[in-house]
Amino acid sequence: MTAAVQNATLADGPTAPAREFIRRQSLGGWMLLAPGVVWMLLCLVVPMLMMVYVSFWTQHTFSIESTPTFANWIAFFSTPTYVDSLLTTIRLWFITLALTFLIGYPVAVYIGLFVRNRTIQTSLLVLCVVPFWTSFLIRILAWRPMLGTEGAVNLILLKLGLISTPIEALLFTQYSVIVGMVQIYVVFMVGPVAFMVSRIDRSLIEAARDLGAGTTRIFFTIILPLSLPGIVVGAIFVSVMVLGEFATPAALSGSKVNLLGNIIVTQVGSLKWAFASVCGVILTVLMAVTVVGLLRIVNLRREI
Amino acid sequence: MERQPFLRSLLGGWTGLFLIFLYSPMVVLAILSFQSGPEGGPQFPIEHWSIYWYRQLFDLVPPSRVAPLPVGAALFRSLTLAFSTMVVSTVLGTLTAQAFRRHFRGSGAVFYLVVLGMMVPGVLVGLGTALTANALSIERNWWSTVFLVHVVYTYPFAFLVMLAIFNRFDRSVEEAAWSLGVSPIQTFRRITFPLIFPGVLSAMLFAFTLSYDEFPRTLFASGGQLTLPLAIYGTFSVEIHPNVFAFGVLTTLFSFALLAVYATLMTLSSRRARRLAVQEDIA
Repeated sequence: MTAAVQNATLADGPTAPAREFIRRQSLGGWMLLAPGVVWMLLCLVVPMLMMVYVSFWTQHTFSIESTPTFANWIAFFSTPTYVDSLLTTIRLWFITLALTFLIGYPVAVYIGLFVRNRTIQTSLLVLCVVPFWTSFLIRILAWRPMLGTEGAVNLILLKLGLISTPIEALLFTQYSVIVGMVQIYVVFMVGPVAFMVSRIDRSLIEAARDLGAGTTRIFFTIILPLSLPGIVVGAIFVSVMVLGEFATPAALSGSKVNLLGNIIVTQVGSLKWAFASVCGVILTVLMAVTVVGLLRIVNLRREI
Repeated sequence: MERQPFLRSLLGGWTGLFLIFLYSPMVVLAILSFQSGPEGGPQFPIEHWSIYWYRQLFDLVPPSRVAPLPVGAALFRSLTLAFSTMVVSTVLGTLTAQAFRRHFRGSGAVFYLVVLGMMVPGVLVGLGTALTANALSIERNWWSTVFLVHVVYTYPFAFLVMLAIFNRFDRSVEEAAWSLGVSPIQTFRRITFPLIFPGVLSAMLFAFTLSYDEFPRTLFASGGQLTLPLAIYGTFSVEIHPNVFAFGVLTTLFSFALLAVYATLMTLSSRRARRLAVQEDIA
């Protein structure tokens, strides 16, 4: 049947409806795009530009007006609380990123390279994703009965006789925030890396071994470089999510840890919109620099 | 490398510990949701096993000092919102992906514009939307501003899923239909749609669950009426009770039910595709 169609097409050129369709499609290409593009421009680009604009507005006690000023920016960088929160954000981001890598990378290598059986490989990846079917906020809250003074971790350590009194520093400190964020975001590191590692040609590793390369050498010359795109994608995911985070500190730090996200929430709560916008712009810049910088390391379009 | 038994068991053990780390909070939460009520707190030991907190969620117990979670109306809003977001973002995603099947100038810019929607953190989109709505004196509501930003978030996922589907799609089938004089609308209905149906289903699943659980965007873009995640967030600052845990268990079960529906529809559609293929072979 296909051959007959091809013959007909070759003989007569596109038939009338086909020609009509192609003409309409080139006209209609932008018609197909328009709804999505307009939606994104109005509901994403305009709000982001609005945020930049409002960061230069004048803040009164309970209102803002559009007289341009640098006052909010000066206030941000001259108030130790806010500068501290910026530094805390950067510090917790680095710690979380490092931990998701250190914890997730071996898991990804195991799933991608060591598990030969396809079914087991898929099941392990599914097991990593299943927790996402529970509400994000409830997953964070679940750390409270884990880490509290009477929580599961302390209970087990006490039973094992490893400690004699419960450790109080587990919950409502920055450690609990880090633990919570690592648990939620580590999967975003495991997934992309496992994908890249599973694509490594095994004969490459065999060849290296036949030529006498040791495990360490194989790791640093084959596995690590070939998994780099996965690491970069994972790092982008984790960075973007950790930088925009405020719910985990709100639930697990007992308001001891204030990330920039928390500052934004508090400022909006007290109607300090212009000030919240300054924090928002700083976060945006931090994020843009990170993403662009990471994309410099590898050319993703070429890798995928 | 994968033949080294020591390294293999080391990494295997590490992965086991990793899974424990991933699951233990949920397991503890599920156990504690069966705490006795209304006196039992959100910690061990379990005084005695009971389903008190589950009954409390459905208003089946006499009032106590623990206020019930305000989930009834919030659940309805979240489901309505997730459903409309799902429909709109799947349609938008399919339209855009359809346009991307042809090369056009500016495709790179459009691609990044769409993908930006899933990359920009929710706090920032939420804040920007609230500012814009305030400046235009638009009232913020779960069915207006929140709906708009939810689509901004889920539409890129739908778009990427559909793009992946269209990339593996054999164009000649459609071209054959056009050449035979079938109208474009008929072609889409009879040929294109059945072929892309699994993708559409996945895009819908993504959009629904992302919107249903979406929190930071909703926080800023909504007015006084809470969605489900906002109702849960409300419990963060106060003392928590096992009713939150019971609710967590129920929502997880609900998600699994949704997954089961998805898996069933997927199986049915692939079975149908196989049957059609067999019929064609016979013909």
